[in-house]
Parts: sequence; C-alpha cells; structure tokens
Amino acid sequence: MVHPEAPPAPSPAEQGSGWDAVFAWLDRITQIFNVAGTALIVALMVLIGADVFGRQAFNAPISGVPEMVSLSIVAIVFLQVPQALRSGRFTRSDALLKLAWRKTPRFAKTLEIVFDAVAVGILGALVYAAWPLFVKDWQRNTFVGAMGDFTAPVWPVKLILVVGTVLLIAQFLARIVKLTTGRVNGASE
Amino acid sequence: DDVKATAVAGHPPVFRWVKMIPEVFVPTVQKELEGSGHTFTVDLQAGGAIAKVGEELETVGEGLAEIGTVQALFDPAKLAVQNVTYYTPFVSSDVKQISNMMDRLHKEDARLQQAYTDNNIVYLGAPIGIDDYLLMTKFPINSLADLDGKKIAAPGAAINWLSGTGAVGVSGNLTTYYNELKTGVYDGVIVFASAAVPGKLYEVAPNVTRMGLGAQFAGVLGANKDWYDAQPEAVRMALHKGADAAKDWYNDDLTNFAAKALEIMAANGATVVEAPEDMRKAWAAGMDNAAKAWAADLDGKGVKGTEVLSLYMEEMRKAGATPLRNWDKE
Amino acid sequence: MTPFDIGIVSLAAMVALVIAGLYVPIALMACSFVGVWAIKGSPLLASKLLSLAATNTISSYYFGVVPLFVLMGFLVAESGIGRDAYDVANAAFRKLKGGLGVGTVGANAIFAAITGISIASAAIFTKIAVPEMVRHGYTKRFAAGIVAGSSVLGMLIPPSLLLILYGVLTEQSIGDLFLAGILPGIVMAILFALGVVAMATFAPGFTGSPREGDIPALPARALLFKAVPIALLILLVLGGIYGGLFTPVEAGAIGAIGALVLGLAKGTLGWRSLWNVLVETGLVTASVCFLIIAAQMYSRMLAFSGVPAGFGNLVATADIGLWSVLLLYCAVIIVMGMILDSSSILLILVPLMLPVIAPLNVDLIWFGIVTIIAVEIGLLTPPFGISVYVIKSVIDDPEVSLSEIFAGAAPFALIMLVVLGLVLAFPQLATALL
Ligand code: NA
Ligand code: NA
Repeated sequence: MVHPEAPPAPSPAEQGSGWDAVFAWLDRITQIFNVAGTALIVALMVLIGADVFGRQAFNAPISGVPEMVSLSIVAIVFLQVPQALRSGRFTRSDALLKLAWRKTPRFAKTLEIVFDAVAVGILGALVYAAWPLFVKDWQRNTFVGAMGDFTAPVWPVKLILVVGTVLLIAQFLARIVKLTTGRVNGASE
Repeated sequence: DDVKATAVAGHPPVFRWVKMIPEVFVPTVQKELEGSGHTFTVDLQAGGAIAKVGEELETVGEGLAEIGTVQALFDPAKLAVQNVTYYTPFVSSDVKQISNMMDRLHKEDARLQQAYTDNNIVYLGAPIGIDDYLLMTKFPINSLADLDGKKIAAPGAAINWLSGTGAVGVSGNLTTYYNELKTGVYDGVIVFASAAVPGKLYEVAPNVTRMGLGAQFAGVLGANKDWYDAQPEAVRMALHKGADAAKDWYNDDLTNFAAKALEIMAANGATVVEAPEDMRKAWAAGMDNAAKAWAADLDGKGVKGTEVLSLYMEEMRKAGATPLRNWDKE
Repeated sequence: MTPFDIGIVSLAAMVALVIAGLYVPIALMACSFVGVWAIKGSPLLASKLLSLAATNTISSYYFGVVPLFVLMGFLVAESGIGRDAYDVANAAFRKLKGGLGVGTVGANAIFAAITGISIASAAIFTKIAVPEMVRHGYTKRFAAGIVAGSSVLGMLIPPSLLLILYGVLTEQSIGDLFLAGILPGIVMAILFALGVVAMATFAPGFTGSPREGDIPALPARALLFKAVPIALLILLVLGGIYGGLFTPVEAGAIGAIGALVLGLAKGTLGWRSLWNVLVETGLVTASVCFLIIAAQMYSRMLAFSGVPAGFGNLVATADIGLWSVLLLYCAVIIVMGMILDSSSILLILVPLMLPVIAPLNVDLIWFGIVTIIAVEIGLLTPPFGISVYVIKSVIDDPEVSLSEIFAGAAPFALIMLVVLGLVLAFPQLATALL
C-alpha cells in the first residue's frame, strides 16, 4: 500500500556510456537528497517531541524550536521536490495529454517537450533570483531567532533551495532528453 | 508627476501601525503635495497579501514594493541595533518617550541609519511603538517567588527578561496565547495591553501585573532607496511630513487605547495591580545583562552595538527616564 | 493593458494551461512570472517575486508540522491501526447502505479534532478508506469524493489553522472561533453522512453498488481489541492538547511519535515499511508544499494586478443591504476558491470586508464561520482544489484522473453550500456554544 520508490538507479558502472549513465547519476543524487529530506522529517519529530517532553517533565524547553521548524520545512520541501517529480507526484490534469498520445503522438510529444521547457525556464528564473539572496545571507551571516536566546544561520536553507531547484531543473531536462530520444513514448505521470 | 506606490504590511489593517498608512500617512502626503503639481496614490497590500510579517524589509529593499512597515522586531539580523529596546527592559513605560527618542536618533545618527542603507531602505519615520509590557498570569503574583518553575511565554528577545526570575521562558506567539493559556501549556505571558484586550487574554490569565517591563520600539515606515532617490524634492519632503503626522496620530491613539485597555480588563474581571517598587527592583537586579552580551556580539560583527546601547541609554536618561538598571554602564 | 486586464488574462491563461496538462505548480509559477513582468515591466522583479515567495511562504511553525501530521496519518494506516478503527466503524454502520462511506465521514470528524489542517485528513483517509470502499463495490470516484469532502472537516472542527488565521486578521478571540466551529462541523458531518446514504441508495451509477453486507459482525472482544489502539492515540493527542501538555501545532509531532510507538508495539510496523512510510511522507509533503508555494506566487501576482481587491470593493461598496452583501461576499469567495488557496483568499478578502461588515453590527465570530465554510468549498472545486490534489498525489492509481476525483467531490461541495446556507439562516449554529 505504500507507494514504491522510483525504480532503483542502476549503478553507473554497469551502464556503459551516454545518456543512460547521466540519468543514473542524476537519479542517484536525487535519491540522496530524498533521503536527507526524510532524515530531516525524523529530526523534526524528535526535536518537537524533546521540546514538549523537556518543558513538561523537566521545566527545560529547547530554545529556538519554532525557528528551527520554520527553516527545516523549507529545506525538506526543496530536498524532496526533485524526487517528487521523478516519482510522478507533481499534480497535473492529464486527460487531454493521454488523448493526444493516443491520437497524435507527435503532437503530444512536442507538447510535453514544450511543457518541460517552460518548467526549465521558470525554475531557471527562480534560481537566478534566489542565488543573490543566498549570497547576501551567507556574506552577512543572516540569522533567525533572538540573540542571547537562540540563533541559527539561514544560508544553509537558502543554499538547499537553490541546489534543490537546480536538481529539479536537471530532472526536467532529463525528461526532455528522454522524450526526444524516444526513451519515453506515451502519457507520462 | 503622478507618484504611485505600493505599500506592504505583513499585519492586517486592524493593526494600528497598518491603519496609520491609509488614515494619516497617505492623506497628509497628498495634502502636502497640493498645488505642487504632484499627486500621490498608494496601493496598500496588507495582511501578507504580498509580504508576510518579517518579509517587508526584503520586499521593499528588493523593489517589489515602494513603501512598507519595516519590522525590526521580526528581522533582528538585518536591523540589529534597532532591537536595542528589547534588550533594555525597565527603562521607560512611556511609549511616546521611546518613540520620539527613536525617531530623533534615526534622523540624526548615522549608526542607526546604516542598517537601513545596507538593506536599500530609507527611513521615512512613524516609529512603531509598543505600549508597556505587562505580566499576565493564571495565578496572582504576590512575590517574585510565585514565578518559580512557572512557564511564561515571551516574544523574541523578551525571553531574556525572564532570566533570574526562576520562571521557565517559552518562546510564544501572540496569535495562540489564548488557547495555550486556557489549556495550561503556559501559566502566563509577557504581553502588552493593546494586544491583550482584542485577544481576550484577561479571560484566561486574569492576573495583570504592571511590572514596568517597558514600552518598546518594534519598527518603522520605510521606503525603497532607489525609488525614494528618484523622487523630486517636494515629494520626499511630503513623505517625511506624512510619516511625522502618522507618528503623532499613532502615539496618541495607542496611548489612549492602552489606558482604556487596562480599564476594560479590570471591568471584565481581571485584577490589575501595580507591582511594588521592591519587586520590580528585585526582578531587574536578578536579570542577566543580556544587553551587554548582545552589544558585544554586534561589535564582533562590525556593527556598533555598544555605542548604540550607550547612546540610547544616555539619551533616555537625558529625556528623564529612570532605568532600574543602567545596562550600558555595568 | 492595465494591471487589472493583465490579472484577468492571467486567470484565463492559468485555467487553459492546467487543462492542457501543464503541471499545476509550473502553470501557477509561469503565470505569476509573466503577470508581474507585464505589470511591473521588469523580468528581474518578476523573478524576485518568485524567489521571495519560495523562501517565505511555508517558512513557519504551522507549515513546519505539515509533514508530521501526514506522517502520523501514514503510520496509523501502515501499522493497521487505521484499518482496525475502520473495521469498528464499519461494524457499527454495516446495516446501512453506504455504511463504509458513513464510517469514513465519522472517522474524519473524529480525526478533525486532532488535526489542524485538511491536507493531513485527505492524505490519511485516501490510504485507509479508499481501498476498502473500492473493495466493497464503491466506484473509485465516489470513494475519493467521500474522502475529499470529509477532509474539509479538518479545518472547521477545532483545532483549525484557518480559524487561527481569521482570528488574527480580525482580532477576534480564537477560543470563541474554535467553539463556534463545533456545531457547524457536526451538522456538516451529519449531512455528509446522509448524503452518502442517499447517493448510495438513489444514484448507484455514480456510487457503484456498495455491499457492506459481507462485512462480518464483530464479536465484542474483537471490537474492543481493534478499538483500543486508535482510542489510545486519540486520548494521547486530545488529552495532551486539552490537558495543556502541548499545543495543537505540536500535536503533529506527539501524534506521530504515539503512532510510531503503537505500531512498533503491535508488531505491524517493520523497519522496511517504516522507511517507506517516511519516504512517502516526504514526497507528499514536498508536492503539496511546492503547490502551496506556487499558489502564493500566483496570489501575490494577482494582488499586484488589483483583481481580487476589485472584486472585494465591488462587494464592499455595493449599496444593496447587509444580506445581499453577505451573499455576494460568499459568491466572490467561492469563485476565488476555484483558483486560489484558502489562506490567500482570507488574506485578500477579509481585510477588505471588515470595515464594511463591522459597523453593521455583524457578529464577527459568526461571520468568521461563514467565511471559513465558503473558503473551504474551494478545497473541492476545479481547477485548483488542494484536497483533490492531495488525494491524487497519494492514491497512486493512474486510472483515477483528477477530473474524476473532482466529480466525486462535487456533491460534497454542494452539501457544504447547504451548510453555508444553514449557518447564514441560523446564526445560532455558530453562536450557541459561546
Ligand atoms: Na481540526
Ligand atoms: Na478550488
């Protein structure tokens, strides 16, 4: 009943050269990000649990939990979003596309490529504007929280946002390559 | 010229510091510009429609909006020295005094302006003052010992105020105080009267102790620097006049309401008491000097923390305030 | 083109792109980007809007616990606790045509008391209830529709993150708002249940032919055995919230820990399935939050265009009497609900309406419940309906299309409309408990 993970990536070594090796590496990195995001969810659960327990049982709450939670959720989303696309979790209304793949596959393929290219473009614009925000927060060491109580730097999350989006772009590019090289033929999820 | 600006606020328009924009700031600017050949219109985007609370500085600085309520309290990293009042409790309970002081220092002192310039912001005026912080608890406070082991919620840097009292400081959020107090997650909160009344906090924490923790400075009205610099002199002058008018209106309205708020709470069954002087002194004496540590930390980052701390304390003393602790001189 | 025109065009473009099959978050992002570019004349500003919204939209304690509420639900499902609880509900309603559907609504109403968001309810009951209903002869669309419909209870029955947001916007007591949500929530649950039975009886073409007859009666011992774990979990979460041990927001983490411990104690949760549950939680969280981020970008673009304010002013300045204003207001919310997410609608409309409504001696608590019900209809309406999207993301069945789930949810949106009418006609529903 649990959704299967994306098919395990074949190890790059046994894959010869060419695109397949690239895809294998890409999927491998995507999965590593996915695991990191998953670990962060567990950490969040433990953190809040420990804060509640410490506060109620020992009058010793953990400082900065709201701040850490606010930062973590952004990291979790951008660590996992490439894998969410890879395993077909991006929401779309595919009725018309399915019809197009049946009736005029060439048109359907072109349309899918255009859609994926739009995604690459728009996510590119996001990265373009997010990068300077990361650099600024890194150079100035911007933090959240209150000095004297708890502070945490925000740059790691800004960096994850950029890198996660770049990985998402790479997954969209991979889809374009798979469509143009005939690796994908039919309505994809 | 037809000058158009988008103004952003993370809080909704029921908040006084948002309400002052359409009610006072904009009409005053328009009136100032009469006969100058310039007109002025503002598209107010409040309640987080474009920028959430704490996001206004970046949104205005990046140029997505021209004017905004810039919240130092919610952006303590970028507007570090502006948080000086939150590190110096027990200085003054007079919100007008603090507001006017901070307004003057912002206009005169380069060390305070620097934080805005660094973020591509120009200080227009209209400091967002917060009325005197109170202690509201589920239990009566007869002596400081009553606080021992009690969980008290406080916002941001104000959590430092609880050091030495024996109370457990929990970082809290105004929006959920009512429920948390009602169920007993917290035994009390540090909060100001003008927020306690709309939130009906007196129902769940009916013991209101006026500790004199102090009125505070939380933010200002700021403009995007590129946009501001491109405006004709007359418009720039008018913007500052508008902000000055907003400041006076805000201070009067807040002071009146804060006084009324205490009456409303009492009328609704809350017990409002003034803390005896020795209790206040004992609280202040037991605290860590978080201001010193904060200022030293800023110094290490190349921001003039210590200088701003003593500037603020010195000016407040000159203005007639009698701080319970001279945070800058210890 | 004026900014207003650009806003209108972007609405049409967004709907067209979504129907054509572009990924919904990408469609929202692309329309916001082009819209802001057209309004402000600067692609750089447009990309800055994207990056600021990406950073800030979900960066809060409230959104931070979304994965934990989802994780709690998936643990309940995977460890068999949900299935057992569902068996109990089914034993209670097995004589009823549509009993499984009624059980789903009932279970959702109870779960609503421990969750503050509808997303979690939708995700959980897609896992627990949909397969079971389909196995017993329900059409997939009806099964998914029941789950989508009853998920809205999550934000009407307290605790509710939407009611908290309304309370903040209007300076009303959140405690009062929570109390006011209880009766309308119960009425809605009852009407949902009646609706399920009526549809199962009179519209078998739509619902399939539910066969609850083969569900065995449970002996008292088995009933007890199956009911204990979920009862323990509810006791933990509700007891903890109302006993002052933790906040409704923190309840997500405590509930997840509780479900984990129960699952391990029952021996039904292995390491492998635990890992799968965690990964699944991450993927659902990421896709839903990414969608919410994109919706916030779109909402900010629309705010710049002035379209929502235009509609709001239309209502606010219409000199047509209180009741016409209220009806028009609800209509505008429902229309906005088709394309915007719940919190964006509240942020845009409530501040506009407040100065109009407040002087007319309208009870702002009642007005809040009216607003929340109208806003929540949008969770079920195409093209942008978050509850339906969550179900699509969790259901993992390519044969169930988005439009089918929307169709299945439609009767429940209509029932919500009825409840909205009831609360408008009988304000006591909201104010009786105050
Ligand atoms: Na709820
Ligand atoms: Na909708």
